[in-house]
Amino acid sequence: MRGIDFILKRTAFALITVFVAVTINFVLFRALPGDAITNLSKVPGATPALRAELTKEFGLDKSKWAQYWVYLRKLTTGNLGVSYSTQEPVTTELWRAVGNTVPMVLLGTLFSIILGVITGVLAAWKRRTSLDYGSVGVALTFYSLPTHWLGLMLLLLTAGYLPRGGREDEFLFDPSFMAHWLDVGKHMLLPSLTLGLVLYGQYTLVTRSAMLETLGEDFILTARAKGLPDRTIVRRHAFRNAMLPVITLVALSVGYIVAGSILIETVFSWPGVGLLVSRSVERRDWPVLQGAFLLLTISVVFFNYVADLLYYEFDPRITT
Amino acid sequence: MSEQVLAVEDLHVWFDLPKGERLHAVQGVDLDLEAGERFGLVGESGCGKTTTILALMGLLPSSAGVSGSIILDGEDILAGGERSMRPHRWKDIAMVFQGAMNAFNPVQTVGAQLVEPMEFHGVATGDAAKRAAGELLEMVGIAPERAERYPHEFSGGMRQRAAIAMALACSPKVLLADEPTTALDVMVQAQILDLLTRLSDELGLTLVFVTHDLPVIAELCSRAAVMYAGEIVEAGAMETLYHDPRHPYTRMLFGAIPDPEGEREVLSIPGAPPRLDREIVGCPFAPRCDVAFERCPVERPALLELGPRHYAACHHNDPVSTVAS
Amino acid sequence: MSTVLEHEPGVETGSSTRRLRAAIWAILKDRPSAIVGAAVLALFVLVAVFAPLIAPHGLHERIGPPFGTPGAYPPLGLDDGGGDILSLLMWGARISLMVGFAASLVAIMIGGTVGVIAGYFGGVTDTVLMRITDYFLAIPDVPLMIVVAAIWGPSLWHIVLVIGLLLWTSTARIVRAQVKSVRERVYVKRARALGAGNARIIFRHVLPQVAPLLVANTVLTIAVAIFDETALAFLGLSDPSKISWGKMIKNATGSAAVSAGAWWTIVPPGVCVALVILACTLVGQALEDALNPRLRVAHLAARGFRLLPRMLRDDK
Repeated sequence: MRGIDFILKRTAFALITVFVAVTINFVLFRALPGDAITNLSKVPGATPALRAELTKEFGLDKSKWAQYWVYLRKLTTGNLGVSYSTQEPVTTELWRAVGNTVPMVLLGTLFSIILGVITGVLAAWKRRTSLDYGSVGVALTFYSLPTHWLGLMLLLLTAGYLPRGGREDEFLFDPSFMAHWLDVGKHMLLPSLTLGLVLYGQYTLVTRSAMLETLGEDFILTARAKGLPDRTIVRRHAFRNAMLPVITLVALSVGYIVAGSILIETVFSWPGVGLLVSRSVERRDWPVLQGAFLLLTISVVFFNYVADLLYYEFDPRITT
Repeated sequence: MSEQVLAVEDLHVWFDLPKGERLHAVQGVDLDLEAGERFGLVGESGCGKTTTILALMGLLPSSAGVSGSIILDGEDILAGGERSMRPHRWKDIAMVFQGAMNAFNPVQTVGAQLVEPMEFHGVATGDAAKRAAGELLEMVGIAPERAERYPHEFSGGMRQRAAIAMALACSPKVLLADEPTTALDVMVQAQILDLLTRLSDELGLTLVFVTHDLPVIAELCSRAAVMYAGEIVEAGAMETLYHDPRHPYTRMLFGAIPDPEGEREVLSIPGAPPRLDREIVGCPFAPRCDVAFERCPVERPALLELGPRHYAACHHNDPVSTVAS
Repeated sequence: MSTVLEHEPGVETGSSTRRLRAAIWAILKDRPSAIVGAAVLALFVLVAVFAPLIAPHGLHERIGPPFGTPGAYPPLGLDDGGGDILSLLMWGARISLMVGFAASLVAIMIGGTVGVIAGYFGGVTDTVLMRITDYFLAIPDVPLMIVVAAIWGPSLWHIVLVIGLLLWTSTARIVRAQVKSVRERVYVKRARALGAGNARIIFRHVLPQVAPLLVANTVLTIAVAIFDETALAFLGLSDPSKISWGKMIKNATGSAAVSAGAWWTIVPPGVCVALVILACTLVGQALEDALNPRLRVAHLAARGFRLLPRMLRDDK
């Protein structure tokens, strides 16, 4: 069957990358010299009993190699240690945050892809018209804005109309189911919009250049020769081919999305993984930071992997 | 056999160049094609032959300006621009491209791309169209099952056959073939030429074959026109052109054909064609001509009728100048 | 043989910096957007260099109440500490641009070295180096920067190093591809046949060919580095003693400028960052575009060919 090789190769690459990330994680937090190096047992305000338990659990009295081994074993069971600031297991905190981050990021990313692809296709189709120059200009501008600054600008502009931050209104007394989710949606609007706006610019640019490249292919000339109207050519022949690089870009920009969500969640106090990262940086809460880093890395690797498979699905030429 | 299918009258094409200049790529071409004939259009690269047939399809880019008329079955299809040309594309005039390697969309099956024009022009739909696509493939010597395959799974020669099948999808009256054999090896070239000959005989198809390769035309076509610097310098029946060329360029083109045993080489006429982005004074071929005389660099020769359907543009054919020299 | 002649004179003349400058100028002058970008960039660099001379007020000078309005303290008002925003922008330009330039220098050095070695030597070296690059590419750099900056502690040089150490991957890939193609050119093969050593070939023949692309990449990297500095500053990971544009945004938010409605403390530094990033992107893309020309024809355009009236041919 076509592509078993391909899938195996990409799977292997993804797994090795995760392993590399896991190792970097260990080295960064526990093997590098420096005054900020973690010792998982130094949980502030912890009882001696808890410390002793953690020392034993993570083998902190043993060699680095032994610690590494323990660390790997703990990872397989999902044990990432205990938060310094809340003394809750890191995994619990992460899961709660993921539940908040995912919808916000999905909404923003979806918005950016739709906006980026539409403006990119139009710009390429109507090349060298004011529509083209306009879309590219606006896209480049949004692409250049610092993420958190754009968030702050939106806050300034919407002051009084939309909630300033957080996930829900704490003072909404015993809201109905509908009222509660409406409230959450309102809180989510600005973070998602910010993410969408900072992301869409590069999608526009890449879609446009991919479309232009495709429109220069001979089979587009064939399609025109067949007498097909422009709209059919764009939709049926150019669009699908041009989407191949866009898929790759969307996947590659997952890293960028992650960076954006850290900044955006900090601006809007949206209680997701990003806010967890910035809070744990502030409090030097190493176990949480380490867990979040690992989670973000693995999700980026995972999405790159999915993009590879999608690319394979869309492009019949790929065999290896 | 003398029914006229397609006529081109005084076709001009200009291209806008970036710096506000214009390139006069086709400078007043006239053609008239009969039903079922095989017509050759020959010339060096850049002489305007590809531009001419792209103009016939209405496929020129936005930097191009066109004037003249293209008469298909008595109707000027160029008069309404893009709008009046579109309905005739593929249905009446179809084309096999130079880079037919890339004429197929890589992410669609070959069959789907054969069916597409049939459905669009209302020739056939659904299963009937699929069956027709299979038959077309069979006609060009490809197993009908291969319709389900993607273009990259075809060899070069096979893709070119499929491109021909695709061109025949709406049973056009005229088939334009732009150097359809350039990228192929010699064996496959011969097969494609045989195929085109057979198809035009069987289907009564008018074939316009564009190439820089004179031997190919000599073998395939009954009539031909020689293009130089955007205009036709000589046109006539193949035998006439071969035995009695009346333009030095035609004579030199035949002279430049290497012996059959030797390797194929580029035309070995010294010099290069003139630039088309400035006005040409006199005969465009004069600088390279071995029989040019004082009249040639100053006066542009007209295309004169020298015999039945034999035309040439050379001062040597003009009784006035013959007397003068 | 013609290929040899084409490249040989340029390589032999030796003054490769002048040639590079001429080449870059030739590329820029046909692209108005790149000219604008280069001008904006030059302006900011000048302001940064001459900040001590042209800034109306000192870095830590308090000239009025916190959040003094632009109306009362023209042209841009005061920040939370009563400092003059315009002066702070000028001082901040020094740090922001310095971080941008220094970090991309680090990135380009590492990426360039990896790219040249991988591309030039090929084989196992290439495979190993590119695998490493791939893994680094797959790991999201901003979170990694945050982690490293948090562990190392806030200092300007840490920021420069952290950003530089994580931005080299794309440079390495681009340079490698270019080196691979240069390596196969006739004059390089000839130099090798004549017995030139690897170092000599790399410095005399390969680097001059890769240099324009490296410049384009540097310009784009500067934009990313300045963006990253702003982000790290916002998360409280920048040097507390140094004022950069990123730090100004951070100070404004930290001091509740948003709720006070003191937009003039937030808007100017963000606009500066955006302008520099936009300028770098315009210049970098113009250079990349010119060096890697893509297909310029499109078979489908906003309009088709034009139909010209017959008489038009006579007016030629």
